[in-house]
Amino acid sequence: MTMIRMSNIHKYFGKLHVLKGVSLEVNKGEIISIIGPSGSGKSTLLRCMNQLEKIDQGIVEIEGIVVEAAGDKEGKGVATPREVRTAYRKMGMVFQSFNLFPHMTALGNVIEAPMLVNKATKDDALKIAEKQLAKVGLLEKKDAFPSKLSGGQKQRVAIARALAMNPDIMLFDEPTSALDPELIGEVLSVIKNLAQEHMTMLIVTHEMGFAKEISDRVIFMDDGKILEDSNPIDFFDSPRHPRIKTFLEKML
Amino acid sequence: MDHMEYVLSILPFIASGLKLTAKIYIATLIFALPVGLLAAIGKVKGPKIITKILYLYTWIWRGTPLLLQLFFMFYGLPIIGIRLSPFAAATITYTLNSGAYLTEIFRGGIESIDKGQYEAAKALGMTYSQTMRRIIIPQTVRRVLPPTCSEAVNLVKETALLAVIGMPDLLRIATQIFTRDFNITPFIVAFVLYLIISSVLVRLFSTLEKKYSIYE
Repeated sequence: MTMIRMSNIHKYFGKLHVLKGVSLEVNKGEIISIIGPSGSGKSTLLRCMNQLEKIDQGIVEIEGIVVEAAGDKEGKGVATPREVRTAYRKMGMVFQSFNLFPHMTALGNVIEAPMLVNKATKDDALKIAEKQLAKVGLLEKKDAFPSKLSGGQKQRVAIARALAMNPDIMLFDEPTSALDPELIGEVLSVIKNLAQEHMTMLIVTHEMGFAKEISDRVIFMDDGKILEDSNPIDFFDSPRHPRIKTFLEKML
Repeated sequence: MDHMEYVLSILPFIASGLKLTAKIYIATLIFALPVGLLAAIGKVKGPKIITKILYLYTWIWRGTPLLLQLFFMFYGLPIIGIRLSPFAAATITYTLNSGAYLTEIFRGGIESIDKGQYEAAKALGMTYSQTMRRIIIPQTVRRVLPPTCSEAVNLVKETALLAVIGMPDLLRIATQIFTRDFNITPFIVAFVLYLIISSVLVRLFSTLEKKYSIYE
């Protein structure tokens, strides 16, 4: 089953052409790492999937529902606003800078969206939240405000918060890039646990070892285009493209 | 003892002035806070025409003397046929004036919230109004408490301009007693009362600040 289909996506920031005709299909249960030099459009690609950035050209489909169509396809085949909203709710996102709500406790962060968006009762939301916090190993920190948590703990709460909405797809935008080296492991191991549950995931990352270990597919982006889309063994052990070779040499 | 008796004898008059000052002050706060909040949201997110009107509003009301604004409301409006009670005219003027300052305070507060907060809320499926109500405004409140406190204290002192346009507020009553008895005691009483009100407000706001700071 195709979870996400992006067709010929273009994105501009003013005059800057950030995505230059990117097409991508994500199948159910796939774990895809997106790597590449900074400024290559990795994060933008991810952010175009859940409407944090509006595309300028192309079509975005989530689980068969056209959620956005722009450019010469403007509005073509786009589902009703209600269907579009429901489709977007199938995606959870984790940010580089965590973006926890600082005025709410860890538990408050996790119950907020289920109650507000899904209209869950407080009891149900608490049950979901405690389950998710336990899953990321932070149940005992549930009453702590984000300011009292380490970076790794914040990111794990952020993951629990996204999971509480019961998503089919998780988008990770450089989830460990803002962390001290010794805190990266705890976040990666939470993501690995999700992989074992066959969550469909897209991960923008600079952690090459992690990408190699966890991914079904590795996508290399350069200058707004997908340069390579292959399995991790071929990608890391015998990169075909000289651009990728140079990049990997620099990273390792 | 004579002095104490004198103070007691003028207290009923002073109290009537204090009552008017308090009524206008409270009415102004009740109206100016929502005016400021809505205008701030309008300035941040509103369509261009709304933004322009609001820009004009804060530009004029923050850029001219409050006393002159009161003169226009009291002496200008009747000329074009709009007759308001003094209480209404005063409340409207103070509300629009204070509202303009609060608009800028709240706008600054809202804009100081990291855009990652909006993105996280959006990624969780929240609508814009849910995001404002549950995520952005509560954080803004914490940040704007100190400047809002200054504005609230300023407003107390600005109510004394009512005396100039002839409304029997605390200062005007004190002035009347002074001219009648040629004794500065009523001024001292008014002085102390203004100071007490301001101090209570500052205390109130610092309690609120503490309450909202628990997450920092």
